Amino acid sequence: MQVGLKVWRHETDTGKRALKEYEVDAPEEATLLDVLDIIKDKVDGSLSYRKSCRMMICGSCGMRMDGGAVLACKIRMYDFAQAGHVPVISPMGNLPVVKDLVVDMQPFWDKIRAVKPWLEPGYEGPQPGDKENIVSAGQMSTIHKESLCIQCGCCTSECNSMEANPDFLGPAALAKGMRFVGDARDNTKVERLEEYSEENGIWDCTRCYFCQERCPKGVDPRDAIAKLGAEAVKEGIDRNPGAKHAKWFVHSAKTTGWLRETELIPKTQGVINSLKDVKFAMTLAKHGKVPPPFPPHVAKDVKESRALHDIVKKQDVRGASGIVQGERALGRIEPHDDAYAAAAERGPYGPGSFPKPYLPGEKEGAETS
Amino acid sequence: MRVAYYKGCLASLSAKELDTSTKALAPKLGLELVELESVTCCGAGDIQQAEPDYYLHLNARILAYAEAEGCDTLLTICNVCTLNLRQANFQIQKDEALLERVNANLRSVGAPTYSGGIDVQHFLWLMSRGEGYEKLKEVAHHGLKGLKIAPFYGCQILRPSKLLGVDDPDKPHTLEAVITACGGEPIDYPAKIKCCGFPIIAAREELALSELIQPIEQAMEAGADAMVTPCPLCHLSLDAWQQKLSKQTGRTFDMPILHLSQLVGVAAGLTDSELKFKRHVVSMKPVLEKLDV
Repeated sequence: MQVGLKVWRHETDTGKRALKEYEVDAPEEATLLDVLDIIKDKVDGSLSYRKSCRMMICGSCGMRMDGGAVLACKIRMYDFAQAGHVPVISPMGNLPVVKDLVVDMQPFWDKIRAVKPWLEPGYEGPQPGDKENIVSAGQMSTIHKESLCIQCGCCTSECNSMEANPDFLGPAALAKGMRFVGDARDNTKVERLEEYSEENGIWDCTRCYFCQERCPKGVDPRDAIAKLGAEAVKEGIDRNPGAKHAKWFVHSAKTTGWLRETELIPKTQGVINSLKDVKFAMTLAKHGKVPPPFPPHVAKDVKESRALHDIVKKQDVRGASGIVQGERALGRIEPHDDAYAAAAERGPYGPGSFPKPYLPGEKEGAETS
Repeated sequence: MRVAYYKGCLASLSAKELDTSTKALAPKLGLELVELESVTCCGAGDIQQAEPDYYLHLNARILAYAEAEGCDTLLTICNVCTLNLRQANFQIQKDEALLERVNANLRSVGAPTYSGGIDVQHFLWLMSRGEGYEKLKEVAHHGLKGLKIAPFYGCQILRPSKLLGVDDPDKPHTLEAVITACGGEPIDYPAKIKCCGFPIIAAREELALSELIQPIEQAMEAGADAMVTPCPLCHLSLDAWQQKLSKQTGRTFDMPILHLSQLVGVAAGLTDSELKFKRHVVSMKPVLEKLDV
């Protein structure tokens, strides 16, 4: 079959970039990575991209297709060729571009390292006479999805929070964190949760769900971040604004049923900090955006929701297990995998680029033509 | 069609204009709304991130009350409610043992139990497809006179698409279809599917603002007269926090932001008392002048 690709080429030395179109003959079963290989072999040997295993295990070939991050070895080109659609291929976002489709993964690895991606069993190796530490299947199921991560960076490429704040740990590193927080053999759970709860951690996720949408391995990094939040609250690590914000929702649900909106900001930021913003609050109040806290808006039969809270607490399905219990059911939903085929042309640096990849020598977040 | 109506927190309180315009519009689109009095907040993703088992029970209770009204559809008008309810719904619909435990708990607090018969549908989905869309085209006869409208989807009506599944998460079309049916001109811009920053606006305002600025800036550049969103949380951040962008950048930000029900409501000739534009922080005047309303 004839397959076309438009590839954003980027020269490191000159900083020049251009969209080059290629058309090659490829076997019907060819993946995006196969097509890139054919182009490199037969048309232009200078085309640069990363690859290794070609079977969705190594995580090397993350790149963008029509603006969304994919593993090149996972995408079959047959439907595109049949539809006559020529997809635009560009480097991943949120990481500096080295050349063509190759990005500098160093910031990614720095964040993975920052969450201490190794087991801390809390003792100096097995001692003579120690018994085996058996981990049950149930215990491992808590971190089954997080263990699937191949560190390709597709989630990180699309993270809206990281685009706003390059220091945000991001979906890959936090999912890796959950992989160890949830591991029954790790003895540093509380320390980990305390570290991950700091600024740029768990509570800075803005729940855009791009990571969940793009992950080629079903890790569901956003769910992993929610699990970390639930574990942190369970362990009483809840003095930061993000956790306080979340706890206020719980408190609202069991006292009045509906969110007590007006008290939310002082409860999150503290009364003193929220007072600094009186002028803003007054503007909102003028337009009815600050409903009076008294009398509270109370849902009928709210005692049921309070009683539910008590019962659930007693049953002790706490922390991450509250999310894990629903994973089996969610796994039975058939995903809609036609998203890529329907995506239209998008340039990586102009309109449609989100988040924009950083280019060498360019100020982060600066506009480029 | 008789549907259970879940308005959520914001439409009950700070975004009452969304509630009044939805209630006025729905009958025109052939929907009979059954109000649920005993339901609570869906947890907005916050409870799921703090006490997920409680989140599941709260949402199961909402679904159970909807079912108790004899409805098979639960109508939502908020992205976050939509995702939270759909997710909880799938979790118990597709796991009998979990449904059984949840039901036992609901029973013990005196709430109705749930058999799994509810489909959670956002108002946008019902009016942009099938019969609802045909009705919409009839109802929106006042038109928007070619007004340029920037659709802003927000996140949790698109992603995770596995749980939502109506729009293509990268190339959504439902808002565009509604704008076109109302006689407006949909504006295209890349940030229409990105995050408005709302979930962290109270805890990390600076970060949230740097997300918020993108769609508004791009909509301005594309020449939009107004933006429309199906989510009251996006509405609140776009409308109320916009003044902070002006303060931060020194530039003028005054993009009028409409709730979906208001946009269609204008085209369908709803009254001032139903639309309640006075409740917006950014003035709607320039838009209304263009429309001669």
